[in-house]
Amino acid sequence: MIETDVIVVGAGPAGSTAAKHAALGGAKVILMDKKSEIGAPKRCAEGVSIQGLEKLGIEPNPRFVTQEIEGIRLQSPDGTDVWLTKDEVQLPEAGYILERKVFDKFMAMDAARAGAEIKIKTLVTSVDKIDNGYIVSTESMGKEEVYKCKILIAADGPEGHVARWAGLKPAAKAKEMESGVQYEMCNVEFERPGVIEFYFGSCAPGGYVWIFPKGEDIANVGLAVLPHKAEKPAIEYLDDFIAKCPYTKNAQAVELNVGGDPVGGMSKKLYDDNIMVCGDAAGQVNPLTGGGIISGMTGGMCAGQVAAEAIKEENYSKKFLKKYDEMAHDELDHDVKRYKKVQEYLLTLSDDELDSIAHAFEDESFEKISTTEIVKKLIKISPKALLKLGKFI
Amino acid sequence: MIVKDWCSFCGECAGVCPRNLIQVREYALVFNDDDCRDCDTCIKACPINALEKED
Repeated sequence: MIETDVIVVGAGPAGSTAAKHAALGGAKVILMDKKSEIGAPKRCAEGVSIQGLEKLGIEPNPRFVTQEIEGIRLQSPDGTDVWLTKDEVQLPEAGYILERKVFDKFMAMDAARAGAEIKIKTLVTSVDKIDNGYIVSTESMGKEEVYKCKILIAADGPEGHVARWAGLKPAAKAKEMESGVQYEMCNVEFERPGVIEFYFGSCAPGGYVWIFPKGEDIANVGLAVLPHKAEKPAIEYLDDFIAKCPYTKNAQAVELNVGGDPVGGMSKKLYDDNIMVCGDAAGQVNPLTGGGIISGMTGGMCAGQVAAEAIKEENYSKKFLKKYDEMAHDELDHDVKRYKKVQEYLLTLSDDELDSIAHAFEDESFEKISTTEIVKKLIKISPKALLKLGKFI
Repeated sequence: MIVKDWCSFCGECAGVCPRNLIQVREYALVFNDDDCRDCDTCIKACPINALEKED
């Protein structure tokens, strides 16, 4: 049996960040991932906010930044565009499109350089609570290995078992799990370069289509749907969209990505004695955009820091680890809860309603994007908005 | 459960399974068919239609 202070399950951005901060704080850390290549296959559209990375202390590196975001395009079902581009509008946040295969590895390397030990191709097959710790059973290329840790951090993604085995509820109910599919494509045409594009309405029931540029003629073209609102598998919606959309009609796919995205908000319980949950496994995702890189890493940072403190204090009780819950809610609640409301409102809108909103916004010139201004205008067009979003004003 | 050969092992099915019965390995899905109540949630959630119920 191998003994350590902290075991982190899952070496995505959240897990690696947790491992890094636990190790920086002096804990003995093992970071495990079932995959043979950290970061591959990617499961998302790869967008992050620049301020988000700065806050996490991550220096942008040309090896993992493919494109700086120049603006946003929102398109309603009848083809009406609302453009919010940097040259005309002050955007609330600047962003990058990453190369996740490189980025995720860099984050794991950061953890390793901080002192964490990494075990790739290592699947956790069970976790068992013992007095003041966890026994973690693993399997790696036919070899079974058993570990004992004082603190277990579950960062094993939307499909993660660890939190559920430990008796904590999963992040998302089935109804709140987006079903996502994406192609990385070349020969994509852009009306304005560097703009991330969103297409709303029945092209992606319960979600939206995205085109995220990755430099030159390359883009992630994908969508997510809520299965209970969809009539067919996500990939059929995507293939239909790509065939019809003028910007993708000549595009060729070089990669297919699939995966779930928990958009139900943060889990009610993020911790218990000797365990913390972060990242997608904890629903640390923006429910409107489905983006979870920065929020998951923020959760990971909080979990890692609290783990290190707990090890120093020799106190791994839920009473001590509650601090993680408070930190994660302080950092993430504001956005997650707000965007959940907006997502719920969007879900109520028909194609016609989306069109009339887009018509009203189409010729509007904004100097600065403020939620209040947008909501005020929305309420004029769509009385429903008052009901759902009124309290943002 | 029949797992089609185009399954990408993304784990969407495991994430939505209300009974936590699907284990996702790097290149395999392991179903605990004995405890399955045939709710079909996993089949509907699969983004690429890679699951089919055995008759």
